Order: sequence, then C-alpha cells, then structure tokens
Amino acid sequence: MLESLHLDWSLLAIVLGGALVTWMTRIGGPWLIARVRLGPVANAALEATPGAVLVALVAPAALSRPSDALAAAFVCLIARRVPMVVAVAAGVVAVVLLRRLL
Amino acid sequence: MSTDSITIPASPRQEFAAGVVHSLPIVAGAVPFGFLLGSLAAKAGLSALDMGLMSALVFAGSSQFVAVELLDKNGSGGSAGLAVVGAILLVNLRHLLMGATLEPRFRGIPRARAGLALFFMTDEQWALALRRGPELTLAYWYGVAATLYLAWLASTVAGTLAGALIADPNAWGLDFTFIAVFLCLLAGFWRGVGSLPPWLASAAAALAVHALSPGGTWHIIAGALAGGAVAAVQAKWQGRASDA
Repeated sequence: MLESLHLDWSLLAIVLGGALVTWMTRIGGPWLIARVRLGPVANAALEATPGAVLVALVAPAALSRPSDALAAAFVCLIARRVPMVVAVAAGVVAVVLLRRLL
Repeated sequence: MSTDSITIPASPRQEFAAGVVHSLPIVAGAVPFGFLLGSLAAKAGLSALDMGLMSALVFAGSSQFVAVELLDKNGSGGSAGLAVVGAILLVNLRHLLMGATLEPRFRGIPRARAGLALFFMTDEQWALALRRGPELTLAYWYGVAATLYLAWLASTVAGTLAGALIADPNAWGLDFTFIAVFLCLLAGFWRGVGSLPPWLASAAAALAVHALSPGGTWHIIAGALAGGAVAAVQAKWQGRASDA
C-alpha cells in the first residue's frame, strides 16, 4: 500500500509540465483561430504531426527484429477491421509466437 | 398555432444525462486501455499515485502512453524529463486543430469557464461535442467529460495496482503492446494513400536519427518535423495543381 502511494518528485515535475502544455494545446485552438488564420500549407503540416509522431515512435522498435516487424505488419492489417483491444491482443499473441519461431 | 412549433428546452440535468449515456460506449473501449496503460506504467516504475496524478492532470491517452514508454526507457531525470514533456506536447498538438473547430460553440462563454471546460477536451469529447452541433450545451459537455474522466482515472490507477503484481510482463510480449497500441492509433489517422509520404518520411528520419543516438528521443522530433515538412510540400503541390 505504501509503495502505491510513493511519489517521485522528478516525475511530478514532468506531470505538471505535461499537464500545462496539454492544457495549452486544448485552449490554444479557439484562442488562435480567433486571431490568426493558418494557410492551407501550415494547416496540412500541423494535421500530419500526430501521425508522424506515432510513426517515429514505433519505427525503431517495430523494425528492430523480423518477428516484431511481421507482428507489426499484422496489426496494421487488422487495425481498421477489428476493435482496438482485439487488434492489440492479437498482435501480442502474434509477437510471442513469432519470437519463438524466428 | 400548432403546438409542434414550440420546443421545450432540455433541462441541464437532462443534457448532463444525455452526455453520460452517449459516452458509455466510449468508456467500454477506453477502460481496457486505461488498464493496459496502468500496467505498463507499473512496469516503468510508476506508483499508483504517480499514475493517478498523470491521468488526473494530463488526461490525454495517447500522450500518456508515449510518456510512460519514454519513462520506461530513459527514466525521469534531467533532459530525459524535458524530452517527455516535449513528446507530450507534440502528441497533443492535434488539440489545436480540434479546438479551432469548436470555437463557434465556445464564443459566448466567459473565458475562465471555457478554459475549464476545454481542459476535458479529448478526441472522444471533441467528436461527441461536434456531433451535438449548435445545440451543444455546457451541461452536455460536462456529462461526457465527467464520465470519461472518472473512467480513465479509475482504469489507469487499477491497472497500475494490478500491473505491479506482474513479475515480468515482457515474458508475455507486453512490451509489444506499446507498438500495437500506437499502430492502432496511427490507423485512425489514415486518410488514404496521401498519408503515406509523410509517414514514410517520418519513419526514415526516425530510423536515421535513432541509429545516431539510440538512447534519446530526438528521433521522435526528427520524425515529426520530416512528416510535417512532407505534408506541407504535398499541400503546396496540391494547391498548385488546383490552380492550374
């Protein structure tokens, strides 16, 4: 019980910093749109950012070994056809099997 | 005069209840993810209190997955901590666009009240609010917000408490769940083949930078910038093509 109440101070700083920047992204949209108009080019770049961040996050780990790359490809194939929880569970089962085989 | 021209406005209580009911299917999908995030946080060394504070104050699923992943890899000290905050900011930049589309709904609301309501704007909150159209009320907004907030807080903390009991999650491929979750979130951003060039550019930039500095998080920044740059070039070309 005591362990679950442990608080890491450097982590608290990260949480507070993350909370502040996240809140600013939430209030920033209405605030900005009332003042500046983004051109279509800047808008397209901003729109592509979340996807690009996710790709950059998974690429090194997903391509680190053949078993993980195959399982990642499998998840991509089923991701839009089944609920997210199912896709994640199937991906984990696939990677456990593939790591044993390859 | 016919009675059907008279519309009785819904009471705030009814609006709040409608928000709660509309968010229940989302809760069913979000709770397993909150539980998963909690167990990964436990693996990364976060306590239930750490996780609860993060869920209560940041309250943004994808960015919390990213933060926990980075904390697991690099810890929370010094520049690693700054990189986590930077990554949270990058993942949540999409809120700027989402919030911009909600601006007409928040125009008449005092700034402090709008600022508090917008704290709860998640992808799902935004989608339900947009679907509600011009009739959107603050009571409806908070019906959705309260439901999603409590479900997320409870499931992430429960996951941390349960995950701490698992000795070696990697033995069951739990490390791959991060990759799988991000790929599923990525699939939600798919807008046809036009999405591919920015993603390929991001992957190439991320792999190159990761090869140079495997420990850091610069590959995420590099990937985000490369993807954004390619998307900008695409938009420019499309603009030229439609001008011609």
